[in-house]
Amino acid sequence: MLAASTTTLPVFLALSACAGPNPLAGPPPLSADVRGLFDAVTEEQNLIWIYKRTMASYSAMAPALGALLAEHQAHLTQLRAMIVEPPGKTVPSTVTRKPAVPGSAAAAVAQLRTAEQSAGTAQLRRLGRAAAPLAQLYASIAASEATHVSTLTALAAGSRG
Amino acid sequence: MTATPTPTSAPQTVRPIAALQAALAAEHAAVYGYGVAGALLTGSDQATALADWRSHEEARDTLEAMIVKLGATPVAASAAYTLPFAVTDARSARRLAAALEDGVTRAYLGIVAVSDTTLRTFGALAMQTPAKRAAAWRGSTVAFPGMTST
Repeated sequence: MLAASTTTLPVFLALSACAGPNPLAGPPPLSADVRGLFDAVTEEQNLIWIYKRTMASYSAMAPALGALLAEHQAHLTQLRAMIVEPPGKTVPSTVTRKPAVPGSAAAAVAQLRTAEQSAGTAQLRRLGRAAAPLAQLYASIAASEATHVSTLTALAAGSRG
Repeated sequence: MTATPTPTSAPQTVRPIAALQAALAAEHAAVYGYGVAGALLTGSDQATALADWRSHEEARDTLEAMIVKLGATPVAASAAYTLPFAVTDARSARRLAAALEDGVTRAYLGIVAVSDTTLRTFGALAMQTPAKRAAAWRGSTVAFPGMTST
């Protein structure tokens, strides 16, 4: 059976330049894999931020949302573990999207669902250019996000009922 | 579940036909397994199992067509399969359904390791449905669908 792993995935080279280094030039450009990883890290940080804010606003949903949040934290850990920081660059640690938490629980869940869908789509866009093990990690995270959409859809149905 | 996954093969060496054949084998196993599970389920669970069984038949047919188009002979279903554990009641039948879906999810993730971008995307999209079904049967999600855990 073909199976993927994140424990033995090769650590990706941070640099794309193959020619000999020129000490007078600036840092070489980031490779496509590292750029993709940086984007994926930012995406997970944004999701985690939204989950935490939503759980703080709607504590009754915290148990259900907490399980999904924990999985995003696992995604973030795994993505960060794939990166060796290139010279002059650090792994992103800033949340770039901070939407307001909606005024109703149903709308808050809908916002989470939209964020999950958007994140999953972004993961799939990274597949083509990524090295195989990294592509599998993105695909697995995208599948996880798809399961979260289903969970949130059920949660929304429950909150309406 | 957030355990760290482990490998069973080097994905860089995966060839398209081998990956598709592995997915087809997993679909064959799922079609067989749902026959076992469905017989022990009742009500809405049985209806869900029936719908899932049909979905796996359709996926099997899709994979067979893809493999034929690539000039290979699709792997045939086995006459019988060894179940991963004793399936004797509705509870174990639901566990079996989740295990079958996990196996299919894993196999589709194998397709993502090939270099062909179209096949990669196919594998990545195809694994989402069994991942969702596995979560539904299990009653919980996992952090890394398709990846094996240690």
